[in-house]
Amino acid sequence: MTTTTTGPGSSPPSTTHEATARGRVLPFPITGQEIVLLAVIVVLWVVLSLATPAFLTAGSIVPLFVATAPVALIGIGMTVVIITGGIDVSVGSMVMVCAVVVAEQMVSSGLPLIAAVLLSVVIGGVLGLMNGVLIAYGRVHAIIITFGTANLFRFLGLQLFGGTTVNGIPDTLDVFGRGGSGRTLGIPHSFLLMLVIAGLAWYYMRHTPGGRHLYAIGGDANAARLAGVKVQRRVMLAYALTGLLTGLAACFVIAQGTATLAPNVGDGMELAAIAAVVIGGTSIMGGRGSVFGTVLGALLVQTVTSGVTQLNWPSQLASLFIGIFILIAVGADLLRQRTRRTA
Amino acid sequence: MRKMRRRSLAAVLGLGLALAASGCGQGSGGSAANGSGSSSGGDKQFTVAFVPKLQGIPYFEAMNTGGAAACKAIGCKWLYQGPVAADPAAQADIVRSYIQQKVDALIVAPNDPDSMAPLLQQAKDAGIKVATSDTDAPNSVREVFVEQASTEGIGQALTDALLTAMGGKGKYAIVSCGQTAQNLNSWIDVQKSYTAEKYPDAEIVDIVYAGEDQAKATQMATDLMNAHPDLTGLVGECTSSAPGVAQAVRDAGKTGKVFTVGLGTPQSMAPYLADGSSSASILWDVENLGYLTAWAGVQLAQGKAFAATNDVSDKITGVTFDDQTKTLLLGPALRITKENAGDYNY
Repeated sequence: MTTTTTGPGSSPPSTTHEATARGRVLPFPITGQEIVLLAVIVVLWVVLSLATPAFLTAGSIVPLFVATAPVALIGIGMTVVIITGGIDVSVGSMVMVCAVVVAEQMVSSGLPLIAAVLLSVVIGGVLGLMNGVLIAYGRVHAIIITFGTANLFRFLGLQLFGGTTVNGIPDTLDVFGRGGSGRTLGIPHSFLLMLVIAGLAWYYMRHTPGGRHLYAIGGDANAARLAGVKVQRRVMLAYALTGLLTGLAACFVIAQGTATLAPNVGDGMELAAIAAVVIGGTSIMGGRGSVFGTVLGALLVQTVTSGVTQLNWPSQLASLFIGIFILIAVGADLLRQRTRRTA
Repeated sequence: MRKMRRRSLAAVLGLGLALAASGCGQGSGGSAANGSGSSSGGDKQFTVAFVPKLQGIPYFEAMNTGGAAACKAIGCKWLYQGPVAADPAAQADIVRSYIQQKVDALIVAPNDPDSMAPLLQQAKDAGIKVATSDTDAPNSVREVFVEQASTEGIGQALTDALLTAMGGKGKYAIVSCGQTAQNLNSWIDVQKSYTAEKYPDAEIVDIVYAGEDQAKATQMATDLMNAHPDLTGLVGECTSSAPGVAQAVRDAGKTGKVFTVGLGTPQSMAPYLADGSSSASILWDVENLGYLTAWAGVQLAQGKAFAATNDVSDKITGVTFDDQTKTLLLGPALRITKENAGDYNY
């Protein structure tokens, strides 16, 4: 990839040349997998609304969107990280640390909304930056570093919890919840905020040199370095960004929970986010993928989970379907890679 | 150069995994709460060790508080350590370490009763008195099982509390937690048969499993209300889903239309009991369960037999002992409402 020298900004003004340059550098705005995903979601929604008339009502769709928001939000950061060829398995523990600090502050000192969100985002950002520095400059594989920090963060979180739950959390964060105060004109704030961030990330990844550099790093880090990409700085920032988004997601998680925060908060969120990314068509090997697919992936997973309950099916079927989706998505990715290699 | 880097990478990778593995395996971070023994007049001070399923959750921490209080009152040394996750292997390591320490009485709330049985045998062979509390290991050499409340007692109390709120009839659903949790499943069995028998106009329309995840329990309760518009009751079967179902009713603005009960700790249920999104919570006094556990350990260590009914302290009286099943029963289930939720600090 030679994106560094032919970024859209530096293209010559000749229209025909720009068109070909664009055509070669940038893939089609929506990938095949995303179209398939969108179709699957639409079909599922139609089937579900026929099967249970209550499915397409505000009482069902709003909670579905609200439940999708935190996973999709973390998924946006995870997409960027996975595109660079890394992974972050510490986000679940990060949610725990952010959530417990914010919840305790809200209980003890009545932290207002803006301060709570800022505090959570800053903590997430610091933890993410820690991952980023270790991975980019320590040159150890991301899964090892984040596995280590996941345990570290978890220890930190457990210490902060001090062996109990945080009780009597005020409703400061209810603007992100599934209750009446969590939506404007029927649209849940958390989902909307996630969509806006996803839109910004999508634009950044696709249309700015910085974004293209991230793909280049995932494609071949050495080639990217030789082409002048500041690999270490970009990688570090990808993890810091994931931390920031995870901090915001922790606020959503508090808003969705009850007035009590239990120490198992965030458990398994790293896997949920990675599942959304993979189902969304991002290659786990790096170099390819999009934020849009991840949002669809998260929405599909939540649709299946909610749908299974609403259809009165045994809840374990949701795991079965999600497992099948992941395998199909990875299979499709492998097939694409093989055809590319043999082509 | 490249080869060397790869080798060092492999070494770091291996080291990382080894560290992670040992970190998990140890189930570290033991907070041993030692009761300050006020042993009276030359009596040997017995050491009672309790191994919970996991530590760091309010339920077992409350048992720890009760056990430590008992040892302070009776005069014993209370040891408490559990794994950081409900992991049978990590729990077994802790049990082994207590066997090594030659404690006088060893009491376990086993994660996996079957794999715990041989370890309890090993402890007994080492001359340690063994017992179970909270969760039994029926096929083991344990000398007593300290039970919180009978299965029937809890299942019936839950059903009665919910149906009272629902007016004795209507459709309700259960949001349970771990699908394989033996105690939850046996309570659900009682709820099914007791509902069918005593409330013929009531019906359980669905049972779903949310794991130990509050947000998921809330989401599932919301989905259940959508799937069954005529639903008027929800049961949260464990301490994470009990506030979860109440929160779902509150968020949907259905307080007073859909009633909820659950097995929730008093502190976590207090806000929902106050605004009516939860009608009642059924539990037992967890600190008393810890107290009774420590007391039973000392009785065993002293070689005393249990009477048919035992008065343990001025607060815990009339504890029955069933000689057939070797079970000490704390007492009837505790019903927590908005009136008494503030009396408990867990």
